[in-house]
Amino acid sequence: MKISYNWLKDFVDINVSPKELAEKMTISGFEVEDIAFMNEHLHDVYVSKIEKIEKHPQADRLVVCQVNVGFKNVQIVTSATNVFEGAIVPVALDGADLCNGVKIKPSNFRGVPSEGMFCSGEELGIDDNYLEGASINGILILPNDFKPGDKIEDALMLNDVMFDINVTPNRPDCNSVIGLAREVCAMYNKPFKDFDISYKTIKDDINKYISVDVKTNNCRRYMAAYIKNIKLQRSPLWLRSRLFTVGIKPINSMVDITNFILIEQGQPMHAFDYRYLEDKKIIVRQAQKNEKISVLNGNSYELDESTMVIADGKKPVVIAGVIGGVNSAINNDTKESIFECAVFDLKSIRITARKFGLRTDSSARYEKGVNVNAPTLAIKRALHLVDALNCGEIVDGIIDKCTEKLEEKKIIKVSYSKVCKILGFEVPVDKTLQILNGLGISSQIHGDELVCIPPFIRDDIQNENDIAEEIIRIYGYDNYNNINDEPFENCSTTVGEYEPRLVFENLLKNTLVDLGFFETLNYSLYSSTACDKLLISADDVRRNVIKIANPISEDLSTARTLMAHALLLDISYNLSVGNKDLRFFEVGRIYQPKALPLTELPIENNRISFAVCEDKFNFFNMKNVVENLLVNTSLKYNLERSKEPYLHSGISADIVSKDGKVVGWFGKIHKLVLKNYDIAQDVYYGELDTDYLSQLPEKKFQTKEVSKFPPVERDIAIVVDEKISNQQIQSAIKSACGNIFYDVNLFDIYRNDVLGAGKKSMAYKIILSSDEKTLTKEEVNAIIGKVLKSLEFRFGAKLR
Amino acid sequence: MKQKLAQILENSTKEIELAQDLKILDEIRIKYCGKSGELTQILRGMKDIPAEERKEIGSIANSVREKIEKSLEDKLNALETAKLNADMEKEKIDITEPAIGVKRGTLHPLTRFNNKFIEICVEMGFTVIQTPEIETDYNNFEALNVPKNHPARDMQDSLYITDSILMRTHTSTAQVRAMKMFKPPFKIVCPGRVYRNDDDSSHSPIFNQFEALVIDENVSLKDFMAMIKQMLIKLYGENVKMRVRPAYFPFTEPSIEIDATCQICQGKGCSLCKGTGFSEFFGGGIVNPKILEMAGIDSKKYSGFAFGPGIDRSVMVTNKIPNIKYLFRNDLRFLKQMR
Repeated sequence: MKISYNWLKDFVDINVSPKELAEKMTISGFEVEDIAFMNEHLHDVYVSKIEKIEKHPQADRLVVCQVNVGFKNVQIVTSATNVFEGAIVPVALDGADLCNGVKIKPSNFRGVPSEGMFCSGEELGIDDNYLEGASINGILILPNDFKPGDKIEDALMLNDVMFDINVTPNRPDCNSVIGLAREVCAMYNKPFKDFDISYKTIKDDINKYISVDVKTNNCRRYMAAYIKNIKLQRSPLWLRSRLFTVGIKPINSMVDITNFILIEQGQPMHAFDYRYLEDKKIIVRQAQKNEKISVLNGNSYELDESTMVIADGKKPVVIAGVIGGVNSAINNDTKESIFECAVFDLKSIRITARKFGLRTDSSARYEKGVNVNAPTLAIKRALHLVDALNCGEIVDGIIDKCTEKLEEKKIIKVSYSKVCKILGFEVPVDKTLQILNGLGISSQIHGDELVCIPPFIRDDIQNENDIAEEIIRIYGYDNYNNINDEPFENCSTTVGEYEPRLVFENLLKNTLVDLGFFETLNYSLYSSTACDKLLISADDVRRNVIKIANPISEDLSTARTLMAHALLLDISYNLSVGNKDLRFFEVGRIYQPKALPLTELPIENNRISFAVCEDKFNFFNMKNVVENLLVNTSLKYNLERSKEPYLHSGISADIVSKDGKVVGWFGKIHKLVLKNYDIAQDVYYGELDTDYLSQLPEKKFQTKEVSKFPPVERDIAIVVDEKISNQQIQSAIKSACGNIFYDVNLFDIYRNDVLGAGKKSMAYKIILSSDEKTLTKEEVNAIIGKVLKSLEFRFGAKLR
Repeated sequence: MKQKLAQILENSTKEIELAQDLKILDEIRIKYCGKSGELTQILRGMKDIPAEERKEIGSIANSVREKIEKSLEDKLNALETAKLNADMEKEKIDITEPAIGVKRGTLHPLTRFNNKFIEICVEMGFTVIQTPEIETDYNNFEALNVPKNHPARDMQDSLYITDSILMRTHTSTAQVRAMKMFKPPFKIVCPGRVYRNDDDSSHSPIFNQFEALVIDENVSLKDFMAMIKQMLIKLYGENVKMRVRPAYFPFTEPSIEIDATCQICQGKGCSLCKGTGFSEFFGGGIVNPKILEMAGIDSKKYSGFAFGPGIDRSVMVTNKIPNIKYLFRNDLRFLKQMR
């Protein structure tokens, strides 16, 4: 909301610096986002009168002017051709710094000194809309009644300051000068200066000229006035200055008045050319299907029942609350006009504005909410201006159609002690009353009961909390800045608890960090092509993705059902910028819908994913990572060949819990997938379901006494078929050793031509230990013999 | 005889002193104390010495033997130590060569901040909860006093999935869920991701928030401020300053915005804090009684406060991260700086 300081001063007597006012407003809840000084580039520019013009002795294209600047006479050399003796013109003297960046200092034109420069409208930052003749290419010729010596900013009424204020959605009443002025009154404890709503009418009856019929509940109130014998003209300079300061282009007195009311009263208005209203009727209704309207922005729209229009007897003439039609707009020759001052339902306006992508000053205001009481004074204020500016004759009577009962005075009774309890300290009673009354909330106290009557435009004040906020924001939140009290002195004690999954995730995160991994953060929305890139088959449930209806981009259009995509993108990006030896992990969610389209919330599954792109890193390095992660859990699991389509089918494993659930997987990324991500090196990837793992029972440790007798180690090397797995051999060794088994480790594997194709040599270190005695050589030999026999019997293993 | 013993002691002491290595030392030992060493000879010849002298001579001879053995042992130790020292000197390495083994990675700066903040909250009696990121419009807006077409919806353009389901725009949804999960009094905090339809150089469409909610009897704005002050001190140290400004949120009344001493300039004023010395920490306020009533909590009996710091900004400020996009770019060169 842009407002002018001078405008504000119409309603409140203050004389503080703009910066101070801005700070005060900001700490009271109205953040001033910008301040603009309209006179920033007008200092050292004055109204002057050219007394005498002579030719320059040396230059044909220059003239030398003797100029009266009121307090002194100066000589100005100019090349301008539109100056004449007796002309009133703006002159910039030494020190001036004009809008176009020109800085003025005394100079010398071919031997003739010049003490400054005459200015064009552009150099003063104005054009024809602001002042007639300001757009011409030459010196701005000012009206004859301008007085030489006056500062140009005063003469042109550009001595104003613009404040751009962030008005919060709960205060639609402050999208107006009067609303903000009330706030300033409370801040400085000043009275609100009422505005003039008086006007003369001619004896007649508006009902003879127009009828208003409201046929939709989306129109809460419709007021109309009729003005005839209109004399369209420029608005006076003071009014143009107000509009100019807040960034609105002055047009003509009728249109300017509607804009003036919008800013001052926060009430959108519309002016129709009466001539073009067929049947002399105004009908507020929902549009019919296939109705069309051409509006003031040059576009035409096809309407339907969702859009409210103002129509005459035949056709829509305005998209209600949004934009006027060209067919009834005010023209230069408009003689009679209907003034509309209405309140429309904010939802209806919002829907229409969105539907057509149309945001006007009017729709923006309606969407924020215009109080149903606002037109009462606003239309009178508008008519006051019509009268005061001598724009036309106001016909007796204002039509007022209201589809709802206007609220009586709203009385709010709250407990003063409750209000103080909300704030946590006592604001003195007299101060409380002063603040509330200053805000226009007429308040009295009876015992503990605070009786408040908010102004009719303050819908937001409803309960103790609202009253507490009004008091504290004016009393000052800075009362809390240096607080050093203990919190919760009068409250219960609660014991904090961590979230088990977050704790578990942190355990895994720290494990991975210790193993050299870097934590990444990735978007949980991705491109719909992720499934394709990861070779996910057509019948895979993860193809059922949740799509964002209004995505920012295709890359962020889909809620992810796969973790791998993000880390592969990270690796691809890092390789592309020359980073090497990448170990990344991510903790995040995937989103699996129960059915599509979504009718209930999806399953959000928390997972941890990790990937490595590094020379000499292989499946078993990754297996080590997985084991180090899972050692944090009580999970009992088997490894099975993985079915993940984006992993190498032979170099990957699913981690399957004892109850048959796949709780994760890891392995080498499929070659085609690497290609899809422009990755030229092998990548190993793994992920775990942290929801499942974090709810497992806590890992318990049971220990037993260690043996008093020394363990015995024996190495064996056997040749077996490739299809025999290490796990098979190890468990066979274990069972053959019986109760003196301690441990077995595979320490060497090799394959060569001598062994032959499909064969491998496996070397194991077997450790035996007895709790009862020192094992003798014979006993050990017997056991090893049993092991070898068992291996030969079960797998055809041959001792090497 | 006495003279002879004195001579042996003197000679052997001198020789031991001069011995340069273990071999010579051993030769000396053999020369005096060996099977046919000079001293051994004398000791063996004791029986030939007249009885009246034997005692005295024997005593002297033993003393000499002890002294020689002691000297030999000392010298032996000295030579061995010298040899070890010499060996170690030879084995000296360049200690500035790089370490061997896996180097630790790093936690994301956001995780670090999260963990610190969660720890502070739990210490203060908050229970940590997690709630869905895909939410109902009801939980995200309506239950928080933002009905359909409410102007406050403009403040946060949402990513919708259907008319009634969307990506949550704030962790305030946790308020709604917590009020159903717990009976007052309670304190909860919910860290999580939130989503907005907003992507430019200073906004990320996905970012991180905390939501904290306290519901109890007698909770006041003063408790809120006092608690925040303690949190700020724990996060940023004793010298932190706090600045409170009014604000608007549909679900709190009164609503405030709290700034803390700018962590870049420590309050001196810099480009990041636009010279104010403060940077925005978070918003919150007293829970609007309407919210309590909607959740079925007696607003006459209970009150509370809620607040939600956007943590990405805080993390950026504390770590001087130049651009919010860095948080999601995962460039190793960036992540390594956190080591």
